[in-house]
Amino acid sequence: MNFFTRALKNVTRRMSKSILLAITFFLIGNLVIIGLGINNASEQAKVETRRKMRAVVSYEVDYQAFWDYADNLPEEEQQEAYKNYPQVKMEDIKNLMTDERVKTVNIVNSNMLYSNGFETVPLNNERENNGGGSITYEDGTTVEYVEPDLRLQTNFFPNMIELEDNMYEVVEGRFYNQEEVDNGAMVCLITDKLADLNNLRIGDQISIDLVGRSEMQYYQQSGITEEDITMTLEIIGIFHNNEELDENSDEYQWMSRYNSPDNIILAPALAYGNAYYQMGIKQWEYGKEQNPEYYLDAERPTPESYTYVNEAVFLLDDPLHVDEFVADHQADLKEYMLMDANNDTFKKLARPLDTLSLFSNIIVWIVAINAVVIITLVTALTLKTREYEIGVLLSMGVSKMKVVAQFFVELIVVALIGFTLSVASGSLIAKQVGKLVMDYQVDTEKQYSDLDDQNNGTYYWGDTNYFTELSQDDLLAEYEVQINPMIIGEIYILGIGVVFISILIPSFMIMRFNPKKILMNQN
Amino acid sequence: MSTILKLENLNYGYEDGGYKRQILKDLSYEFEQGQFYTILGPSGSGKTTLLSIIAGLDKQESGKIYYEGDDLDKIGLYKYRRNKIGIVFQQYNLISYLTGLENIELAMTETDNSIPKNQKEVAYALLEKFGIVKSKADRLVTKLSGGEQQRVAIARAIASNVDLIFADEPTGNLDTATEQEIIKIFRMLTEEFGKTVIVVTHSNVVSGLSDHRVLLNEGQLIDIQ
Repeated sequence: MNFFTRALKNVTRRMSKSILLAITFFLIGNLVIIGLGINNASEQAKVETRRKMRAVVSYEVDYQAFWDYADNLPEEEQQEAYKNYPQVKMEDIKNLMTDERVKTVNIVNSNMLYSNGFETVPLNNERENNGGGSITYEDGTTVEYVEPDLRLQTNFFPNMIELEDNMYEVVEGRFYNQEEVDNGAMVCLITDKLADLNNLRIGDQISIDLVGRSEMQYYQQSGITEEDITMTLEIIGIFHNNEELDENSDEYQWMSRYNSPDNIILAPALAYGNAYYQMGIKQWEYGKEQNPEYYLDAERPTPESYTYVNEAVFLLDDPLHVDEFVADHQADLKEYMLMDANNDTFKKLARPLDTLSLFSNIIVWIVAINAVVIITLVTALTLKTREYEIGVLLSMGVSKMKVVAQFFVELIVVALIGFTLSVASGSLIAKQVGKLVMDYQVDTEKQYSDLDDQNNGTYYWGDTNYFTELSQDDLLAEYEVQINPMIIGEIYILGIGVVFISILIPSFMIMRFNPKKILMNQN
Repeated sequence: MSTILKLENLNYGYEDGGYKRQILKDLSYEFEQGQFYTILGPSGSGKTTLLSIIAGLDKQESGKIYYEGDDLDKIGLYKYRRNKIGIVFQQYNLISYLTGLENIELAMTETDNSIPKNQKEVAYALLEKFGIVKSKADRLVTKLSGGEQQRVAIARAIASNVDLIFADEPTGNLDTATEQEIIKIFRMLTEEFGKTVIVVTHSNVVSGLSDHRVLLNEGQLIDIQ
């Protein structure tokens, strides 16, 4: 008859007391489950939403911060500040790329250019069918103009986020390599539709005009020839673009051909720089000749001068690493540089979930603290009625620790029964309460938040296409209160913790018990 | 006969209304193995206090107690109570949510003394020896009569295989017939089991059947013929 068996006998044979205590634990358990369930659902919804998003972080100049700084400078210092305008430096990007969480980086420039000697894929939209390529003024005169019809996407690295995401799939040939990136090789990849339309194959060459032929008159005064505005690229790969446009949308009807996913051409950044340099240097020399005073301190351009790095977008290995990545590198960023995972938007969307999470956490803590107080009081009061039993045990030489252990086991057994019963009822209640408070929370947020009603609460995950489009509805769709084994485990751990703390004060009382006094009083 | 318990110059007193009342004054006495002792004395003479000190429930102010030659301080009070002695109280002091059998098993489990492996059978046999049949042994002790509870209490006292039994007014709550039966059991403990029984009592019937009648008077134990 060890303390464990004694505890079990006491629990089963003093049924009414055990039931009352079990009901107390049952009620506590229900409240804890509601709290933990809602908290878990809120956190899980955020995690799941994150998981579905692209793991991208942008690295760019914090223009707002720089302007705020420069605007407050005296006028003479302002000029100096603008000369030293902060820039995204390639060495910093390469440094960040050494982080093992980085899969690839996009330092992409999109240039709207003109096909030369081949057809671009038509959109067959209203713009093309009704007056595209001309402007009609109020007086009725119509001016024809040549519109860019393709998009040259260049990158500084021999990979792209779109390839990693399978948005672009190389179906033939290959992507450009590091050597071609470094040398600015005049190579490119075209879409499969563009290749089919023009019967283009790997190894063929295509010509692209950097400016419209209709504008040549303006460029010719700088000595720029038709040859200078044309870049010739060798096709080394053909890719399929999985991006699809909604042909029924209003936007589609007024799109230009360069908006078409089928009219994208991929090339190394320096290939464009090399090509543009041919006409750029002539423009620069002409400008210097015309206005030498403006060019006194000006540096002579190089092909690299035409490959401006505006922003780097890093693709990480896991969406859940985004916050961690930003936090790890934020402190080392140079002045006026910004690393953005668009957390502000996400946080704004997740606000109802955060409020719920906080609220449920508070509930859990309040319930736990109250549970400790209640159980401590109940146990302390019970001790008074069991003083005699304790005295008998002590008189038999049973150690005080074993007496405490018996009380602990009794409470644990009853607590486990109460908590186990509460798992069933608590999960049902938690689902209902969770839904109720979430609906209320979202309603309240809608009334008071500064969400933009124009886009029905839809936010875009970043300013570029690299961020995943995200709405609050997407986030809330992931919210589902479910009592999983993890929560059940947490309830039992919390319960054991509560019982453990609750038994501390009664334990001190037991330690002070004197068997002689107890038994004398009894007799 | 060997000495099982030796009391040497025991002193004990307590404050009572600002006045120190000395209960034991250099008390010395030796209890022999296998004997039935009754300690008598007027109310307030300190009989129960003496019992609680020699039973290891309380500590004397000075003096020494030796169990089979070993100093009680060295044995330790908890160990002494667990392994060397059994106590029977006037109120029986059984654990109310346990059966008679389980109360016996409790004592058997807690002691460090060697107990036969077939604990349950031994416990049943012990209870039967004291007149508690199996059907009653399996009842909660609260369902037993006063006499039956006291028998269970005595059985529990010796269940841990100890040689020394203390009893504080064990028949105080019992009728005369039951009192006789309990005395018979005490006699049986000494004669049949070779235990030493020390009983604090007011009852002349009990003291009349003991081997030694000892009077606690003015803090000293005096043998009465």
